[in-house]
Amino acid sequence: MENKVFLSYGAFISPLGSTVESNYESIFQGNSGVQQVIASGFKDENWFISKIDWLKENRYNNLLSTALEALTKTEHKSILASKKTRFIISSTKGNITALPLDVFASTRTIIKDLTGNQNIPIIISNACISGVTAINTAADYIRYSGIENVVIIGIDTVSDFITYGFQSLFALSDQPSQPFDAKRKGISLGEACGIIVATKNKPTDFSVEYLNGTSSNDANHISGPSRTGEGLYRVVKKSIEKSCIKNDAIDFISAHGTGTIYNDEMESIAFSRCALTTVSLNSLKGYFGHTLGAAGVIETIVCMLSLQHQQVFKSIGYEEKGTSEPLNVATETINKPLNIVLKTASGFGGGNAALLLKNVSCN
Amino acid sequence: MQLISSTYIAKAAIKKDGVIRHELTEDNWLKECYQKMELDYPKFHKMDNLSKMAFLSLELMKTSAVFDTIEDDTVELIFANTSASQHTDLKFIDSYQHQGNPSPSLFVYTLPNILTGELAIRNKWYGENTFFVASEFDASLFTERMHHSAQNGKKLCLCGWVESKLDEKNMPELEECFLFLVAVNKETSDLAQTNFASDLIDLYKNNQTK
Repeated sequence: MENKVFLSYGAFISPLGSTVESNYESIFQGNSGVQQVIASGFKDENWFISKIDWLKENRYNNLLSTALEALTKTEHKSILASKKTRFIISSTKGNITALPLDVFASTRTIIKDLTGNQNIPIIISNACISGVTAINTAADYIRYSGIENVVIIGIDTVSDFITYGFQSLFALSDQPSQPFDAKRKGISLGEACGIIVATKNKPTDFSVEYLNGTSSNDANHISGPSRTGEGLYRVVKKSIEKSCIKNDAIDFISAHGTGTIYNDEMESIAFSRCALTTVSLNSLKGYFGHTLGAAGVIETIVCMLSLQHQQVFKSIGYEEKGTSEPLNVATETINKPLNIVLKTASGFGGGNAALLLKNVSCN
Repeated sequence: MQLISSTYIAKAAIKKDGVIRHELTEDNWLKECYQKMELDYPKFHKMDNLSKMAFLSLELMKTSAVFDTIEDDTVELIFANTSASQHTDLKFIDSYQHQGNPSPSLFVYTLPNILTGELAIRNKWYGENTFFVASEFDASLFTERMHHSAQNGKKLCLCGWVESKLDEKNMPELEECFLFLVAVNKETSDLAQTNFASDLIDLYKNNQTK
């Protein structure tokens, strides 16, 4: 029998709030952080971005420091410096302003300075599946490496580099992104930092149980989603099998849902192949934009909020079916009994990842 | 953990299991290597240097018989370096700062894990893949992940330490790829980690110096 792994809230900083609670209130109210940002693009084009307005200079380092300072004020404080605690960071670009120097040097220094942890931080840069992969990796450290706690940090900030890049791919939407909707036109970028603490022992405050997860490659294209949803189909199927559950045990899917034509279509095909088209589903990109390396972590935090409050949050921007396979996209935030939720992610490099979470009674 | 094969490529030579297979002396030594290996894979020419090095190293390694047994999702890819996609990042920045427009073909390579995608596409491998960034060659990062992979039921891990890094004057500072294929065993992987990590450091240093 494998060790159980529990996940609890560490910190959550987004345009919608600087605490887990304030983010929850904003999500419950249906607020979105996505706004038009003047001259944010190449040649001063205006794009819709979920941007943290109080972050001014040294944005990545300040965001990371602020999130870690919030973490040191939680009940997790006592474990941060422990030898049995590892840090895993999920980020696609780190502190990109440091180029040509090491974009992750500041990450290591800030973690060591603010937490006193002497272990080498593990940095995962696996495009948009980084966050889900980081959580899966954390569980492996707890189950198989004698580690008691893993602090999982998902972080990315918006930069000219990222905005110009997605603009050059014609992947950005000229409206706030509308995942899975018939009129969707592309991505809205975003920035955030989320921290989850994975533990071997069940924490006293709210937690969920991590069941299992995995990653897979489409083996198809470096920047385009698979037409058959092969990699996503495989990670969902394997995660279900590893967790020894049936697919009808899944009560809710927190999809990747970037709002591009091809990604969302691919997801519908994969979920259809998994016989999951009737399960309640949302994408959180309408609230936070696509936060790249942070996405898997902050969206898993919101899955934990769904389990805590027994609520499925509406998928902002969705009105009308826009994929060849039907999906049960949430159009309103509703109360619903939730026991097991599926979180998925897909990204450049053909990567796909999934994980399953289970409600544990906190009474 | 049992080493099945290793390769090493840098400007000078490409080696398999410590033996030089091709000397590489031209300025465009990656293209030279591709030609000397008589490969026919046009996508190679579009790749960034990280992907090219990993691709060439794997093509050389694939002459081992064990590759006949690797298919579908039986191998896990574990890759790492210190500089992520720094080389291509700088080229992409140059495209919008000095060349007129942000280049989409450069932008797609501004993620280090694209190279694992390239290897997956070439070989139709659907298995797990992770790209880590470390501050130096970290053998225990590889052995820990291989141990986890073994516990998750995998039998083979293809690992790579692959770097394409420019200095502050935009000149190549370090370009190398050290690839190693390892058979892992669920029963013994935990205890094997320390010794294997030490072997890996020796193997890496030997490849670099010889």
